[in-house]
This record gives sequence, structure tokens and C-alpha cells, in this order.
Amino acid sequence: MTRWVGTSVPRKEDARLTTGRGLFLDDVGRPGLLHAAMLRSPHAHARIVAIDTTEAARLPGVHAVITGADAAASTAPIRPLIPTPVPLHDWCLAVDRVRYAGEPVAAVAAVDRATAEDALERIHVEYEPLPAVVDPETAIRPDAPLLYPDLGTNVLWHDVLSYGDVAGAFARADGVLAERFEIQRYASTPLETFGAIAEYDAGLDGYTFWTNDQRPGLTLGILAESLRVPQARLRLISPDVGGAFGNKRRPAYLLASALLARRARRPVKYLEDRIENLTALMHACNGVMDLELAYRKDGTVLALRVRDIADEGKNLVSPTQHNLIKLGNLVNGYRIGAVSYEAYSVLTTKCPSGANRGIGKPFMCFAVERAMALLARRLDVDPAELRLRNYVGPGDMPYTTPPGAQYDSGDYPATLRRALERFDYTTWREEQARGRRAGRLLGIGIATSVEPAGTNLASYELITGRRAASGSAEAAMVRMEPDGQVRASIGDPASGQGYETVIAQIVADELGLAPAHVHVERGFDSATTPWLYLSGNYSNKFSVTDVGAVIGAARKVRDKLLRIAAHRLEAAVPDLELADGEARVLGLPGRGLSFRELARTAYADVLGLPPGEEPGLEARHAHQNPLAQPVGPDRRVRSQLVFSNAAHCCLVEIDRRTGQVKILKHVVVHDCGRELNPAIVEGMVHGSTVHGLGAALLEEFRYDEGGQLLTATFMDYLKPTALDVPDIEVDHLEHPSPFTPLGAKGVGEGGAIPGPAAVANAVEDALAPFGVVVRSLPVTSERVWRWLRDAPPAP
Amino acid sequence: MSLITVRLTVNGRQTERAVSPRRSLADFLREDLELTGTHVGCEHGVCGACTVLVDGRTARSCLLFAAQLEGAAVTTVEGLTPAEGLSPLQTAFHECHALQCGFCTPGMLAAAHELLAENPTPTRDEIRDAIGGNLCMCTGYVNIVRAIELAGARIRGAR
Repeated sequence: MTRWVGTSVPRKEDARLTTGRGLFLDDVGRPGLLHAAMLRSPHAHARIVAIDTTEAARLPGVHAVITGADAAASTAPIRPLIPTPVPLHDWCLAVDRVRYAGEPVAAVAAVDRATAEDALERIHVEYEPLPAVVDPETAIRPDAPLLYPDLGTNVLWHDVLSYGDVAGAFARADGVLAERFEIQRYASTPLETFGAIAEYDAGLDGYTFWTNDQRPGLTLGILAESLRVPQARLRLISPDVGGAFGNKRRPAYLLASALLARRARRPVKYLEDRIENLTALMHACNGVMDLELAYRKDGTVLALRVRDIADEGKNLVSPTQHNLIKLGNLVNGYRIGAVSYEAYSVLTTKCPSGANRGIGKPFMCFAVERAMALLARRLDVDPAELRLRNYVGPGDMPYTTPPGAQYDSGDYPATLRRALERFDYTTWREEQARGRRAGRLLGIGIATSVEPAGTNLASYELITGRRAASGSAEAAMVRMEPDGQVRASIGDPASGQGYETVIAQIVADELGLAPAHVHVERGFDSATTPWLYLSGNYSNKFSVTDVGAVIGAARKVRDKLLRIAAHRLEAAVPDLELADGEARVLGLPGRGLSFRELARTAYADVLGLPPGEEPGLEARHAHQNPLAQPVGPDRRVRSQLVFSNAAHCCLVEIDRRTGQVKILKHVVVHDCGRELNPAIVEGMVHGSTVHGLGAALLEEFRYDEGGQLLTATFMDYLKPTALDVPDIEVDHLEHPSPFTPLGAKGVGEGGAIPGPAAVANAVEDALAPFGVVVRSLPVTSERVWRWLRDAPPAP
Repeated sequence: MSLITVRLTVNGRQTERAVSPRRSLADFLREDLELTGTHVGCEHGVCGACTVLVDGRTARSCLLFAAQLEGAAVTTVEGLTPAEGLSPLQTAFHECHALQCGFCTPGMLAAAHELLAENPTPTRDEIRDAIGGNLCMCTGYVNIVRAIELAGARIRGAR
């Protein structure tokens, strides 16, 4: 029988997406649709003294204008994913005070976007500016300007999590490497911006939303609470989504659109423009990390002590996640027996930090992999060799790290060895030495990583002391239609991952038909798609929960098909097989019934069903990954669940005159367990890696001291183009996870996590003759040029 | 605001419309002609998502006003798509897995179409140069380059 999982089935989505027939949010039309625009604060921090919308409301074509006062009067505050120590009320529009430049203050709905923007110019806001606080270390100080005076501090969470005998390990060590690293703000910036259409049905007192929101389950809960409507009267639909990478979530925009729609009694669309997207949606959290690494002189790393300050900006939705999530890769792939992690989660007057491909883990990996590179140099050991001495070995799997992460499978040394081989490491080391004598600045960077997948929300109990949500789960539906073909849907709206194809492959294998006969619903519709609070497109979770949900639903349908077939064929279930779109009696060629015939029985000729069998051929299933467990008594927790791994080798050349860093070669060896669709896996590795390279070379949201964003367009905030990055070379190992239904593991973040470290290590290696230490990113031409200029005369 | 009447050809069809002077070509295509295959990613001429062909040359439809295009011939992804099935470029994008979310794809196809029309045997560097003004946030460009290379080879083979 044909098995489809594991083969590169070409994507079903492409037929519409290559021909301009996709349906993205901005392609969705509604009768009488109005267009919204938002007035945003020009100040990083200010008191709103007065707002006058009279003139805007009078402009022809304007149907509704709302401000923070309207939001506070007619909605409840937005419930945070992670509650703050003192409840901090936040509405969809700023009330009384703005806390970052770009924060929405008022919104207008008009006949078209241009008219709505015209109206914004007629809204008069009087602000009383307050001091901005831009730097997280300043924000921690007792005399810092406070975003929320009621909170009495800008620090949302400060704690020390300690695992194992850290003090003892440091006392026993031959040496300690201490460094400070920083990470800048950057973002994956999906090419389609974020937005929503809200439609209010006055007759039903309910709302329908079309949105490219990534976490419909969580968002529906917020909408219901804030709009004070039962969840049953809300419907949320996702069309095609033009990339997401964690960025696409902002319940406030859905709420503002809903208020406008209710007031105007017409549907309202709000879609960010690019400047709004770059200024105000979300940035990957910037931060400062002090890292101490205790080692023996043979290179064995004994312990790690980390102090991590995460700059959340004005993030009240998911603060502290940028600290907590680092527990998943705190020790990276290394056998480090003791760790201490001191966390600060800090508010500043900047754009909210939020989920961005890898959430916090690229920084953690950057710090550890930079430290390994520096230690290798200090001990005069090859950086590859140093890593090989410290890896968790394949025989140690499953291996539990000090904070409680369980590395389920993989061969980290073999992954690095394969990467070195593919990269031709020895040859390039020789070439580097030759080049250096001739004045060429070639550098080789190695970075390796674990890539966690699936989030266990119970881990937030470490912060809040109580459990609101926990575990990791997803729901799916499989229905054999009356014509014998299949329809499936899932609570996780795809944003480019090819779920319609991969889910069809999985269902095809379970039921015994071709993927061409399995139609997977585009996106999400809360009225028809099964979903949970935990549903959504996040946390690299497809392999951890979604696959199990699809298989569970497919097997329920399969079992029922077999029972109906057994009854109709007067055979026993074990004597039947499902293949090629029919149920057959094993060993009796020609004796079988097509799925179409069985479906006719199930839906139409129900007297032909086995006694007691429920009509229909539809099943729902929710899969909860069993690895997720409550927080343990010693504060150990599996914050994430299964672990892929990767090794990156990067070759750079630096232009002495301009400081430009050119990546000549970048090799990735990736292991995400069983590859469900190898072509899709490879594509994700390419794309994810380039996210890492962009963060390393170009991308930075830079603020001035007054909290103004200086890089608010794609002219200033540079994304990697086809000319900035090389042909990424990818190879794979395949160590299936014993803890996921098909042995698959996460794949979306494996390049984004180690990519920045690989480039930084390569640049530092190239600049070794000048004694440069790369402590932050991006390594722009300007920075490299300054390093070269300020370096002592070249040897 | 007074309207301006503009006559142009879009995907081979003569079109005459009265447009606001500030109507961008992108909005004109998407909203007035309902050709939603052209996507808008940045509205300041950097990302290339809105790329279309104007008289056979690539242009950013977000940086042109519809009113500028009197007498022009505009081709969008809808016009690059055969009545049945896919064009060689579209087929190659599909086979090489050169798209993930697909939002950049129409603009990429326009850029690739222009390249292959001028140079059916591009090197990989020439391909990268040709799509250097089109951002893709998903694929890392590797498979897009491969797809354009493959389509070029097939188009040559067919001649």
C-alpha cells in the first residue's frame, strides 16, 4: 500500500497561490465594508489631556470615530495571557496615557482607507509629555520613570531559578568565562501585515471576525470577555495567511474594529500599513545577558550562571515569556549539570515585545554559542572539538536538563560531524590560514542548537504561582463526505507551512486513499473547525499536537468505515484492509466495497448500518501531548516538549575597506525526526535560517533616547534580499521522537535559533587578528568598519 | 476631488475608468478591477509584492498612480496565468516548492517573467539580481532561484 507520509508530495496550496487566486485578509470583501485607520501617539510616554474628534466625525464619508474613553466605557480590559502581579488594565485604545510611540489613541471607520486617514488629521489630541524609559537597565532602577505608577516598578518579574549545585561547580572549576551579551529588537515581518474585519449582527447581538490572527482559541476568549458577549455568539474565520512567525496577534485591533462596526452598523476592515506594522505590532524582545560559564581546563563545562534582562516594551499580553521560554534551551545541547537563571522582565516605553520565530531562544543560543566560541579560543581548542566534548550523547537520550527539559532523541555529535563534513571544514580552515597571510579576512562560525517544540502553559505557574492554562493540545476533524472523498480541518491556521498538503498525506495513509482525495480546509472557522483555548499556529507545535489530533480523528473514521464494511461484506474487521479508496477482504480479490458505497450507507442508506451504529462518517479528536506535566516540586518543568537539533557552519569574508560581511557559504544539518514532507521541511530550514542571518547582518529596530523608532520603514529596517544571503546548503539526520505520533519534531525555528550565533562566531573568527569580540548584533558594515578602524595596527 | 478618466489595457482587456488622482495602481487593480492577485506588502516601494508588468517592464504598482497609466498595457499575475493549468514559471514554482505563504509569489513571478523574457539562460547570480528587489520572508530565496532556473531551462527546451 502506498505510504504518503515521508514523501515530498507537491503542495495543494500552490494551485491557487501561484495564480493570484488565494484569499488573503485584504481580499475578503463584505457588503457595505468600511475601512478603518488608527491615530497613533507621536510620543513614547505622555498623558492624554484631551481628545477632540468633532471635526473628524463631520468629514463626509466618515461613519464612526472612537477613542480610549469609548473603549473603557463599552469593553472590559484585555485579559493577559500571563497575569501581572498587580492587574494592569489595558484597552484596545490608550486610556489617559500612552506608553510607546505608535500606540493607538483613536480609530476612524470611513468609506475608504484614504478618507479614514484624512479624518485622522482632523482629530486633535493634547498630550502632556512624560519622560521616556528606553533602556531596560535604566527601567529597573528605583528612580526610573514608571509606565504604571500603581505597580510601583517597571519590573514585572524578577526571580532566580537555580538547578543543581551551582556554587559548588563554580568553586571546583579551573576557570570562569564571564561575558555580557546583548540582542537587538528585530522581527520576522511577515509580508502580509496584520489585521481584521469585524462585522456586528445587531439582530443576534453577535460578531464575526475575519482575521490573520495566529491564536484563534486564545483570541476568541479575549474577544468574548472584552466585548461582554457569550463565546457562542462570536465567530472567527482565518483566510489564507501571508506569513506569521509569531507576530500576528493583537486582540486590540480586533476589538477596535468591533467597536467601530457596532457603532457604524457596517462591517469594518482594519489592516496595518507597513509603518504601523514595524512601529507597533511587536518586536522580538531585546535584552541584556550576563553569562558566566564554569569550566575545567579540559574544556568540560560544569555550570552556567545567567542574569537575563528582557525588555518587554509595553507588552501586557505575554510578558515574562521571553525569560521563561529560555528554560527550554538554557544549556543548549550540552551536558551542563548546574545552572542558575536570574530573570528580569521589564517594561519600557517601546513597542510591545512579542512572539517572534523562536521567542527568546535565539538570544539564549547566541549567548551560549558565543561563550563556547570564546572558551575555545581561550583554551586554544578547536570550537568544533570543544562542543563535541560537551554534548549530550545519543546514548544519554532521553536526557533531562537541570531545569527539566527532556531532550527526547537525536545525535548531536553526529549532527555537527555531518555539518563539518558537508562544509569541508578542514579545507576551509587551511584556506582561511592561507587567506589570512594574504590579507583576506575569512571567518568560520559554528553554532549548534536544540530546537524545542510545543509549549506547556503550566510552566507559567513558576511566575504567577497559579495555573490558568496548562499542557499542549490541538483539535482536528476528519469527515468522509457522502461521495467517499474526505474533508479535514484543524484548529491551527497555517501561514505557509503547507498543512493542507501534509494533513492530506497523514489522512491518506490512515484511511487508504490518495491525498488528492483529501481536502483540508483553508485556515480556520470557529463555527466549523474544532478548537481549544490552546489552538493556534505557535510554538512549533504541529508535530507535537496537531499530527496526533489528525491521526486520532482519522482513526475514528477508519474504525467506523471498517465496522460498516464488515457488516456489509459479512466479514470480520481483522480480515479487512482499507486501500486505494476501498475496503477489501484480505485474500479474496474482487471482494470489497468502495468508500463511496460505504459513505452512501453511512449517510443515506442508514438501514444498512450495523445495529446501533450512528449514521454519518465524521469524527473529531483532540490530542494532548503526554509529555506536558505540571511544575515539579523543585521548580523543574518541561516548558517545551520535544527537541529537534541543528548544526550550522558559516563562512564569511569581510571587506577591509567597507566592513561589509559577505556570507560565502552556509551549511545546515538539521534533525527534526521523521520528515513528514521532506521538501516542506527543507523549505522551512532555508527560510528559518535566513531569518537568523537577517537578524545577524541587517535587522534592528533602533530607538533614540526619547523613544522614537528610527528604523520604521523597509528603507531603514533592512530585510535580507536574494543578494544578501547565499544558497543555504541543507542536509538532514532523522532521529524520530519516541514521544510524537509519527516521530516528527519541530522544524520552523531550527534556523532562526542558531543562525545569529553562527554569523557572529564567523565574523569574530574573521576579525580574530584584531581582537574583536562580538557581543551584540547586527554586524552591519558600519560596525565592522569601526572595529577595523579602532583596532590596533594589523599584525 | 475631481476624477480623472484613464484608458489602459489590463491583461489584454481595454479598460476605461474614472479614478481619484491619488488612487494607486495597486488599489486600482485590487479594488476597482477586483484583481486581488496583486498584493500590497509595504506601500513604499521596497518589498516588491505589488510588482506588475507595465508595457512589459516590472513596476511597483504601489508607487504608480492609476491616472499615470493612460495608454499603458498592464499585466498582473492573473494575466500571466493560462486559461487552463499553470505557466512554465508557475509550474516550476510549484515543483521546486518556491513558495510558502504565497504572498510574495505574484510579484516574484512578474520579476522572473521579465528576466526570462530578456535572458532565457540566466546564471544563479543573474537570477538573484533580478529578484533582488522582491522580498520573500518565508523561503530564504533558495527554491525561488531554483524554480526560475528550471523554468528558464524548460522554456529554452520548448523553443
